[in-house]
Amino acid sequence: MAATAVHAGGGLADHIHPEPQGFVRKYVFSIDHKIIGIQYMITAFLFMILGGMLAELIRVQLMKASGGLMTPETYNEVYSIHGSTMVWLVIIPLLTGGFGNLIFPVQIGARDVAFPWLNMLSFWIFPVAGLMLYASFLMGAPTAGWTEYPPMSLQGQAGTSMWAAAIFLIGVSSTMTGINFLVTILKMRAPGMTYTRMPLFVWGQFVTAPLLMIATTALGAALAALFMQREFGVAFFDPARGGSPLLWQHMFWFYSHPAVYIMILPAFGMISEILPTFARKPIFGYKMIAFSSCAIAILGFMVWAHHMFTSGLAPALQVPFMVLTMLIAIPTGVKIFSWVATLWGGVIHMTTSMMFAIGFLATFTLGGITGVFLAAVPFDLHVHGTDFIVAHLHYVLVGGSLMGILAGLFYWYPKMTGRLMNETLGKWAFWLFFIGFNGTFLPMHWLGMWGMPRRVAMYDPQFQGWNQVASWFSFVMTAALILVLINALWSMRNGKRSGHNPWNARTLEWQIPSPMPYYNFKHVPSVFAAPYDFAEPLPYRGLEEELTGAPPPVPAAH
Amino acid sequence: MAVATVTHPGFAGHAEEPDQLYVETRELRIQGFLLFMVSDLVLFSSFIFAYLYLRNSGQGWPAGGPKLDIALAAINSIVLFGSGATMHFALENWKHGSFTKFANWIVMTIILGAGFLSGQVLEYIHIGARWDSGIFGASFYTLTGMHGLHVLGGIIYLTVLLLQAAQGKYTYTKYTGLTLGTLYWHFVDVIWVVLFSIFYLL
Repeated sequence: MAATAVHAGGGLADHIHPEPQGFVRKYVFSIDHKIIGIQYMITAFLFMILGGMLAELIRVQLMKASGGLMTPETYNEVYSIHGSTMVWLVIIPLLTGGFGNLIFPVQIGARDVAFPWLNMLSFWIFPVAGLMLYASFLMGAPTAGWTEYPPMSLQGQAGTSMWAAAIFLIGVSSTMTGINFLVTILKMRAPGMTYTRMPLFVWGQFVTAPLLMIATTALGAALAALFMQREFGVAFFDPARGGSPLLWQHMFWFYSHPAVYIMILPAFGMISEILPTFARKPIFGYKMIAFSSCAIAILGFMVWAHHMFTSGLAPALQVPFMVLTMLIAIPTGVKIFSWVATLWGGVIHMTTSMMFAIGFLATFTLGGITGVFLAAVPFDLHVHGTDFIVAHLHYVLVGGSLMGILAGLFYWYPKMTGRLMNETLGKWAFWLFFIGFNGTFLPMHWLGMWGMPRRVAMYDPQFQGWNQVASWFSFVMTAALILVLINALWSMRNGKRSGHNPWNARTLEWQIPSPMPYYNFKHVPSVFAAPYDFAEPLPYRGLEEELTGAPPPVPAAH
Repeated sequence: MAVATVTHPGFAGHAEEPDQLYVETRELRIQGFLLFMVSDLVLFSSFIFAYLYLRNSGQGWPAGGPKLDIALAAINSIVLFGSGATMHFALENWKHGSFTKFANWIVMTIILGAGFLSGQVLEYIHIGARWDSGIFGASFYTLTGMHGLHVLGGIIYLTVLLLQAAQGKYTYTKYTGLTLGTLYWHFVDVIWVVLFSIFYLL
C-alpha cells in the first residue's frame, strides 16, 4: 500500500497551468500566485511612498506650534489620506495579497491558489481603488481621519464619497482574497500536510482569511450606508431624522478592530518562520502559537467598542469590553514568550532579516503593553484623542506589522529574484529605522499624557520641543526606508546569487529553485512532520527532482 | 415521456464518470461559493444590526409603526418560497436526466421570482414613505432593496444557467454550476425569511 503510486489525494496534483506565454500573460494579467504576490508588493510599496510623503508633510507641519506649512483644512486631508493609505493600500495588501500570495501556497505544497482568476481580479481592483482614493484630493479629500466619523464625514466635500467608494472596492478585493486563501488552505494542502504540520506563516494566513472575509464585508456595509447618506440622503447617521452617529462607530469598529489583527497575524506568522530559521532551533510551542492566533481572531470580534469609551457608551457595556480587550493580552503574551523561548539557547545568526525580527519583538511588545493601558477605561478617558493613541497604533502597525514586513522582505527576497539583498546596506537600514522609529514615536507617549491632541494643525507651544524631536527622527526613519528601497532595486541585478536555500530553512518554498518556477513543484511532495525540527532530516518525500533538470509537469487536459 | 430524457446532448454519455480533476475542482467551487454566501450574509447582518440598533435607540422610530401591508408581504413570501421549491424540482430533474422537466421548472422559478419583485414594487408604492424621510425608510429600503437586487441577480443567474444547460455545458454527471445556482436561490429565500420576520412580525 505504502509503495504504490498514490494519486496525491487532497493535494490537487493535476492542477497545473500551462506555461504562460508572452509578456502580458506572464507579468501583467498573470494568474500565477507568485507573480500576483509580487505585483501586490510593488503596488503597495508605491502607495507606501505616497503615504510616507504625506506622513512627512504631517511631521513638517508639526515642527512649529503655529503650523505654517499647510492650512488646517489641507492638514486634515493629509492625515486622513495618510491613515487610509497605510492601512488599506500598504499594510493589508502587503501582508495578505503580497507575502501571502507569494509564499503560503508553496508552503502547503499547492501549485496555485484555489481560484487563480479570482486572485487576478482581486489584485487588479486594488490599484484602481488606490488611484480612486488619491483622486479624492481633486474633489476635496475627506477630512475626518481614516475613521471618518459622522457628522464630520457627512459635511466633508465630495471626496469623502469617493473615499468611501474606494475603500469599498478595496474591501471587495480583500473579501475575495480571504475566500480564495481559505479554500486553498482547507482543500489544497499536499498529502500529509495536516493542520498541525502547516508552517506558522500558513497558520497566520489561515486565521487572517476569515477575518478578511467577514470583517471587511461588515465595513462594506458601513461604507455603503455612509455613501447612501451622503449621496441620496438616506438617514442612517443623521440625528435630526432619527439616525445615530454612534451607529457608524459601531459598524466601523466592528470591522476595524478585527482589521488590526488582519494587519498583525500574518506578521506574527512571518516572525514565527524567521526566528527558528536564524536561531537554528525548533519553534517553541508550535501549537500554542497556532491556537493563540485563533484565540486572538475570535476575541478580536468582541472588543470593538473599546474604541468608543468616550463616545457615550453605557457604563454597563464599558466593563465587559475592557475585560475582553485585556484578555487579548494573554494569547499575545503566549506568542511573545514562545518567541523569546525560541531564541533562548539558539545559535543566533544576525542577518538583517533576523535583526528586523528581533526589533519586531521589542517594539511590538511595547505597543502591545500600551494597548493594555488603553483598554483600561479610566486611562483611556485621560489619553483618548491624544498623541498617546498615535504612539500606540504606530508601535503596533509600524513597529509590529511594518518591521515584520521588512524582516519578511529580506528573508523571502531570494525566492522572488534568486538574489540576496545586500546585508551591509540592510543593517544600516535596520539601525536607522529602529532609531528613527523609536525617536519619532516614543516621545508621543509623554506628549499624549501631557495632553497634546492628535489631528491638530497647530498646538500649544509648550509641546514644540518634543514635536521637533519626533520630526527630526522621522526623517531618519524615512531615510532608512529609502535605503531599503534602494537596496531592493539594486539587489535585483547586483545582489549575490542566493541558490535555492540561502538560509538553510526547512519549509517547502526553500526546497524548490529560486525564483520559483510557474508550476511550483514537479511532483507534489508528501509531508510527514512539521518543518521545524532542525536536528532531523527534511520531513518531505518526493522532492528529489525539483532541483534537477527533469522536465516540468504536463498540464492536465482541461 | 421517457423519450424526453435523452433528447439533450448533455446526457449522451451516461456511462461517463467524472474524473479526479473535476471532482477536486467541484469541491473547491462549492466551498468557495459557500464562503461567498457567508460574507454576503455578513453584509445583510450588518444592515440588520443597523436597523435593530436604530429601532431601539429611541430616536424617533414611528410610534404606531409604519404602514406595512402584511397580507401583500405574506402572499409575496409564499411566491418566493414556492420558487425555492420549483428550483429544487428543477435540480432534481436534472439529476434524473430530464432536460425538458428541468427547463420547465427553472422557467417557473424565474417567473415566480419576477412575481416576487413585482409584489415588492407594489409594496413600495403602497408604503408611500420615502427612503430619505427617516430611519424607517433608511433601513427598510436598504435591506429590502438589497434583497431585491439579489433576487434580480438570481433571475439573471438562473437564465444564464438555463441557456448554458441548453447549449450542453452541463452533463448528467457534471453540473456543479447548477448546484451553485440552486444554493444561491435558496440563500436568497432564507434571507427573506429573516427580513420578513424583522420588518413585518417584530
